[in-house]
Amino acid sequence: MDYEAELLPGTLDLLILKAVSIGPLHGYGVLLRIGQISGRALLIEQGALYPALFRLVRQGLLKTEWGKSENNRRAKFYELTSKGRKRLREETDGWNRLVAAIASALAARPQEA
Amino acid sequence: MIPYFRSLAARFVYRRQTERELEEELRSHIELRADGLERSGFTRAEAERRARVEFGGEARFKEECRDAIAGNFLDILMQDLRFSLRALAKQPVFTVVAIVTLAIGIGMTTAMLSIVHDVLVRPLPYTNSGRLYAAYTGSESTGQTRIAASGPEYLDYRDQNKSFVRIAEYLPRFTFTWTGEGEPKLVTCTAGSEDFFAALGVRPYLGRLYEPREFSYLKDDTMVVSYRFWKTKLGGDPHVIGRTIRLQDESVAIIGVLPPMSDLFPDTDVWPKLTTRPSWPFMQWRANKFLRVVGELRPGITPRMAEEDLTAILRRAPDEPRDVRVQLVPLKEDLVGNLRAPLIATLGAAALILVVASINVAALLLARAVKRQPEMALRLSLGAGLGRIARQLITEATVLNGAGCALGLLLAWSALRLVAQLPNLSLPRLDEVHLNTPALAVTILIASATTVLFGWLPAIGFSRLHLSSALRSRGTETGARRKLSLPALVVAEIACSVVLTISVGLLVHSFWRVMHVDPGFQARSLFRAYLRSDSPPNDPEGLRVYNEKAVPFWQNLLTETASLPDVRSTAISDWKPGRDSEIATLLLEGRPYDEAHLPTIEGTWVSADFFRTVGAQLVTGRSFTERDNADAPSVVIINTQAARQFWPGQNPIGKRIGVNYTGPGRRTSGATPRLREIVGVVGTIRHGPLDAPTAPAVYMPYLQDETSHDMSAMNLLVRTEGNAVGLAQNLRKQIHALRPDEPVEQIQSVEELEAQSIVPRRYTLLLLATFAVVDLVLAAVGVYGVISYVTAQRTREFGVRIALGATRGRVVSEVLRGGVRLTVIGSAIGLVGAFIVTRSLSALLFEISPLDPLSYSVAVALLALISVCACLVPAWRASRVDPIIAIQSE
Repeated sequence: MDYEAELLPGTLDLLILKAVSIGPLHGYGVLLRIGQISGRALLIEQGALYPALFRLVRQGLLKTEWGKSENNRRAKFYELTSKGRKRLREETDGWNRLVAAIASALAARPQEA
Repeated sequence: MIPYFRSLAARFVYRRQTERELEEELRSHIELRADGLERSGFTRAEAERRARVEFGGEARFKEECRDAIAGNFLDILMQDLRFSLRALAKQPVFTVVAIVTLAIGIGMTTAMLSIVHDVLVRPLPYTNSGRLYAAYTGSESTGQTRIAASGPEYLDYRDQNKSFVRIAEYLPRFTFTWTGEGEPKLVTCTAGSEDFFAALGVRPYLGRLYEPREFSYLKDDTMVVSYRFWKTKLGGDPHVIGRTIRLQDESVAIIGVLPPMSDLFPDTDVWPKLTTRPSWPFMQWRANKFLRVVGELRPGITPRMAEEDLTAILRRAPDEPRDVRVQLVPLKEDLVGNLRAPLIATLGAAALILVVASINVAALLLARAVKRQPEMALRLSLGAGLGRIARQLITEATVLNGAGCALGLLLAWSALRLVAQLPNLSLPRLDEVHLNTPALAVTILIASATTVLFGWLPAIGFSRLHLSSALRSRGTETGARRKLSLPALVVAEIACSVVLTISVGLLVHSFWRVMHVDPGFQARSLFRAYLRSDSPPNDPEGLRVYNEKAVPFWQNLLTETASLPDVRSTAISDWKPGRDSEIATLLLEGRPYDEAHLPTIEGTWVSADFFRTVGAQLVTGRSFTERDNADAPSVVIINTQAARQFWPGQNPIGKRIGVNYTGPGRRTSGATPRLREIVGVVGTIRHGPLDAPTAPAVYMPYLQDETSHDMSAMNLLVRTEGNAVGLAQNLRKQIHALRPDEPVEQIQSVEELEAQSIVPRRYTLLLLATFAVVDLVLAAVGVYGVISYVTAQRTREFGVRIALGATRGRVVSEVLRGGVRLTVIGSAIGLVGAFIVTRSLSALLFEISPLDPLSYSVAVALLALISVCACLVPAWRASRVDPIIAIQSE
């Protein structure tokens, strides 16, 4: 069954940082990259991406530059700042710990509780 | 940090560019997506349409992007502000009433707090202010308190005490004659002993103060003057040091100018040395208690300990009552103590105004919030967050509050300006009253807290708002909370107003009584001029020479002035109308002399025509005549109060008494006084302020003062026919004809002096009455607002009832009943409050009890009347409800 999970609150920022970490991307590109790396399992409302991008720029995690897209359209490209890279690392670690903790909690058998 | 500021700049500086880029970015997204869709086989048009749909609500995301840019809260704030101003402007009556109410509460309370702080609380500006105490004596057995000290007593204190770093004596407010520059003038003097300025820690503004050795000189040849005298009379001359002026016919050199001292006898012109000089022999008489004593306590010594110390010293002195005690009073209290009661009362009234104003604003805000329920419901349903609505309400309240505070500040400032310029209001330290910032902060805080709290409170109610019902019912739904809180506010408001109105009622009643008090003489068409001359010398030969000149002067003055046009009669007396006469102790012939229980009496020296001139009533016996002179047997006339007190049920005529002065400047050697025979009894004359209690009094012919001291300062009293034209000029001419260098101060109407004697009461009343009127208006507005609101809520109900046959009269009476019920509850609470509060007013009341039923009932009736009137309009409006419209409108 094709399963599309709703994003947990707060995870969109993490996904954007991850998507951009591979190289500068415009907004639409971020969307495509997230689709690609998540195996199309995550559903993002397209427009909702932009407020998140603006917020990350304000926080100094992303920087922007206008450029040309692969099919020659003018687009705004987002790139990770060093602060953004650091944040990505922290968030990834945090996320992994959380997942591990929840996974172990879910794997627990009744006797052990 | 930098990205944040860049983001801020994007919002405010590059606003247009930011907007354009946002637009372009989103468009480019859609086009890129459309490119992708086109590649998978859609036509361009279809691809773009799909891309747009997939993108979602473009406007909303744009808005969210803008919000994500820094500084968003400022934008929202500006929006809220704009919206608030619009909302407030839409209801100008509400807005103006709320702002003015706030301003009155803040302004009046701040002004009063500032005055009370600067006059009562602020420490004296002297170095040692915290350790300065005035010393008085008193004794329980004689019932006397606050007795001043004599010269020898002070010397005992100075030489024997172990409690004070420095102890000084001083004598405030006597007069010297200043000659040699134009007309002779009187200057006001306050003299201090050697340690006086040092104890206070006062340093000269110009020049120097007296050196210790100067206190052993026998004459004044140097003089320290006050800042005020230097500024106003000597033209503020910077080279004034060394200049000589003629005081008391002596040349004195000015050696120093004091700094401005508004606390310490601000009317003083010159500060002579207080010394035991030959011309002041009275300084050496132990029974002559007229000097004030101030000392700087040693560190570690408490006032109690110092009192014990001085009491022990005093009890070693001869002729003191056995239970005599020294009492120390903080110097500040000594200087401003009598202002405490009126100032605290006024402050209390101002605080009540602040409370009533706050309640009013709270009620106004609540009523308005409920009226806005539909609007809020609409906004909620259109997607505004609760937080946003609460923020909006708070912004509105803050705008309102800001305007109220600004206006209040202006009000406080102008009130202080006004008070400082009130004529005849000789509050000490008043010229230094400044707007008190902490006071302002406190009042603004109270008012702001109320406003913002009650501005925000409805937001809680809105959170439980059922959209559909609120929208439908046009805001007729009220939460239980508000149903309760609005009437509770009215009750509180009425209770506060009752307390204030009763307090002011008591003062008004007192004032009425004072105005209708019988002064025992006729003040109208009576005038007074103050004449002073040298003090008589002490030795018999010198006294004889003095009398040879002085007696004919006074006699001639009396006959000459009596024959002036429009003058009916003239008299001289050492009594100044509006001022108490000097206190003397009384010796009653044939009764045991108990030094510990000497009765006291007010003693006044008068000329033969005194009683006829002032218009007093002789009760029995005879009046004085020209024959009661120095050679005749000594006679006195007493007032009825003295007759009742000392000879109850007996005829005092023919009894003999001795009179021994204790008051300032008087010469009593302490020897047994000569006996004088009572020849008449006169109705009690109010010597002092009209609102002061009267005392037993004795009157003596001025020629029978064996020391002639009375002749050194006299009041010429002139009874005229109607308004005597040119009286002042004629009198002046006459006086100068007899004694060219006599300084004649202005000639005053005694009626005016009497009015001046109650100036503090008049101003207290005026101030409190203003507060009461303001309070009543506020209360009326509050009751009107709440009742109209509550009534408007029930429009539909009234409509239905009228449709079902209820008469309009019934509707009116029902609305009124609601108002009356709140008034009755509020009044009851207020009455209880008044019982408690008015007790502290007793010092301000005159011949009425703090529970005076008249004031209570008039005040409550007035308030009831006002609140019923305030209910009448809404009641009438309710009765005019058209049932059809009322019901349909739902």
